[in-house]
Amino acid sequence: MTPGSRAEFGTASSNATAEEDAVRVANQPMMIRVKHAVFGAIGLPVVLLLGAWIGFFNVGASSGHWKVTAWFLQLAMRSAVRTYALAVDAPKTLDRRGLPAAAGHFARGCAICHGAPGELRSPAVLRMLPQPPDLALTVGDWTDAQLFRIVKHGIRFTGMPAWPARDRDDEVWAMVAFLRELPKLNPNEYRALAFNGSDATGSDRQPATPDVLSDCTRCHGGDGEGRSEAVPALAGQKEAYLLASLQGYAKGDRTSGFMALPVTGIAPDEMAALARYFAMLPPASGEHDQIPAAVINSGRQIAEAGIPERNVPACDGCHIGSDKNPIYPRLDGQHAAYLEQQLKLFRSESRGGTPFWRIMATAAQRLTDDDIRAVSAYFSKPAEDAQQPP
Amino acid sequence: MSANAGLLVGCAFWFLAHGSSWVAAEEPGHRQAKVVEPLIEPMIPDTPQSSNPTAPQDSPGSGLSLFLSNGCGACHTIRGTEACGTIGPDLSHVGSRSAIGAGVLPNTEEAFARFVARPDLFKPGVKMPAFDMLPQTEIQTIARYLKALQ
Ligand code: HEC
Ligand code: HEC
Ligand code: HEC
Ligand code: HEC
Repeated sequence: MTPGSRAEFGTASSNATAEEDAVRVANQPMMIRVKHAVFGAIGLPVVLLLGAWIGFFNVGASSGHWKVTAWFLQLAMRSAVRTYALAVDAPKTLDRRGLPAAAGHFARGCAICHGAPGELRSPAVLRMLPQPPDLALTVGDWTDAQLFRIVKHGIRFTGMPAWPARDRDDEVWAMVAFLRELPKLNPNEYRALAFNGSDATGSDRQPATPDVLSDCTRCHGGDGEGRSEAVPALAGQKEAYLLASLQGYAKGDRTSGFMALPVTGIAPDEMAALARYFAMLPPASGEHDQIPAAVINSGRQIAEAGIPERNVPACDGCHIGSDKNPIYPRLDGQHAAYLEQQLKLFRSESRGGTPFWRIMATAAQRLTDDDIRAVSAYFSKPAEDAQQPP
Repeated sequence: MSANAGLLVGCAFWFLAHGSSWVAAEEPGHRQAKVVEPLIEPMIPDTPQSSNPTAPQDSPGSGLSLFLSNGCGACHTIRGTEACGTIGPDLSHVGSRSAIGAGVLPNTEEAFARFVARPDLFKPGVKMPAFDMLPQTEIQTIARYLKALQ
């Protein structure tokens, strides 16, 4: 019996009860709606939970998603990336100086899922749902800003991880620059970039015999000079500083996605041996870009006397001389691009480092971009007497 | 070593630019700060050629050498030494002040140690970094040295 028909029936009965009936009749549909709502709010989740508990839903990846689910998830993922990428400020041209480090990181951190030139994705990975795509084929679908967004934040529910370090957009951009190169690389070119040439085919690729040093030289070079402007030279750096920095990366006190992977799983004594090894290598006197003398001179001025009116202390007071605290690093002969990046990280208080890093953050606080460029250029030129060990 | 000489040149440059009553400090070997602690010898500014990297300007582990090796000299001046920074106050006679740390701490060895470890606790927004990562014994040694700068 529908509420309507009962209402008709009610009006046909005696006048004495007509008013009561009217009230009851008016309430009934309401009560039925409430009942539905209560069932919907409590019952349905209970049923779904029960279904999930019994194991009704298939979470297996083997059968794939229903077409409609797959379509919906792809739509949601692509739309989210597109929308969030609108807020990303992409540089006009990508900085290619980070390519070797990004390639090195790709080989260890991405190729296991996505494959690489000359390395097919493993059958295990191909059974993932969703499948990690062969990036050489798909990067063309995305803009730089969208790739940045994906690499920085990862993709939820898919296994695609976020960048392992906070506040390191510079590293994420280096990876985007590498992804742009990826489709153009043949297997040999890729190996040369990611494994530093010849080591590639050797024992380096066998996980059973992890030769820690050969992992380091992929990026830092066999001579410890750093394979690009963005990878620091370690040769001749102070041993105590190298060790304290490695410990900083391992503990997460210093943020770098590129270094996070290499330091995981290194035993403390191996770490000490690596620091000693690189400290003993002779610092190179490599050739350098032509830098205008005016820039070098203003850099020297900052290094030797600071900028007192802006509370910038003289860098030499901590960084030059064999009598300084062994945790305070040498800067002479270091790559200018690397120094610039580190100074910007100090300035924004996001670098971290050894327990001493906040001292440096104070020193860098008032540096302008021009100051940073000048003082980095000055230190990157090996001083005439820089050959002496620290 | 000529880098240290560079620092001296930098300091000299600053002295010239801000020509002040300190000109005498440039006079080689002129002992400016009256240091009570007997071990402390002020560094003698030397010509770059004859300066020898191994020549001890001060025994390692002493208050002055800890002061210089940890970079306090980048911000503070102690006359007659390599320390010629101008961002923080001149500490040449800090041991004889009536109070330190913007007047909130008494002039005692212990107060120096507490200030150097965490200056931000005594003066919010201070431009001096905390040095509480240094071993306590080193902070004590520096504090004793500062207190002795009369
Ligand atoms: C654990 C496996 C895994 C690792 C490691 C991994 N990814 Fe992915 N990645 C995925 C999966 C799965 C997807 C597909 C997501 C989707 O389609 O919704 C993906 C998607 C992407 C995409 C979007 C490609 C497209 O066209 O859909 C990019 C770009 C990407 N990954 C880059 C990287 C980079 C760079 C690294 C290394 C820093 C990396 N991934 C490491 C699993 C991984
Ligand atoms: C994937 C490339 C890559 C690999 C592999 C790598 N490094 Fe690095 N390393 C870098 C980059 C890039 C930086 C600069 C990171 C930063 O910005 O903090 C760096 C920084 C460092 C620093 C700090 C240097 C300084 O001046 O502060 C040390 C020490 C170091 N690496 C040692 C090692 C050792 C030891 C290994 C081997 C276990 C290794 N690295 C493997 C790329 C790499
Ligand atoms: C009061 C001492 C002090 C002064 C002054 C100082 N620094 Fe530093 N600096 C440090 C310390 C300590 C570190 C090591 C930080 C860490 O990694 O924990 C450092 C690290 C650095 C690094 C990172 C090097 C690397 O290999 O990663 C750069 C670059 C640097 N300083 C540049 C400068 C410049 C330029 C100036 C002058 C404007 C300056 N510093 C003045 C103490 C100082
Ligand atoms: C980056 C620059 C900087 C460095 C490095 C630095 N200081 Fe300071 N220091 C300052 C400033 C600025 C003040 C003034 C604080 C205030 O009152 O605002 C100060 C104040 C002091 C005072 C109190 C002086 C007074 O008149 O009350 C002492 C003592 C002192 N510093 C000792 C040290 C020692 C010891 C070191 C090295 C371990 C050191 N400082 C390193 C900048 C620095």
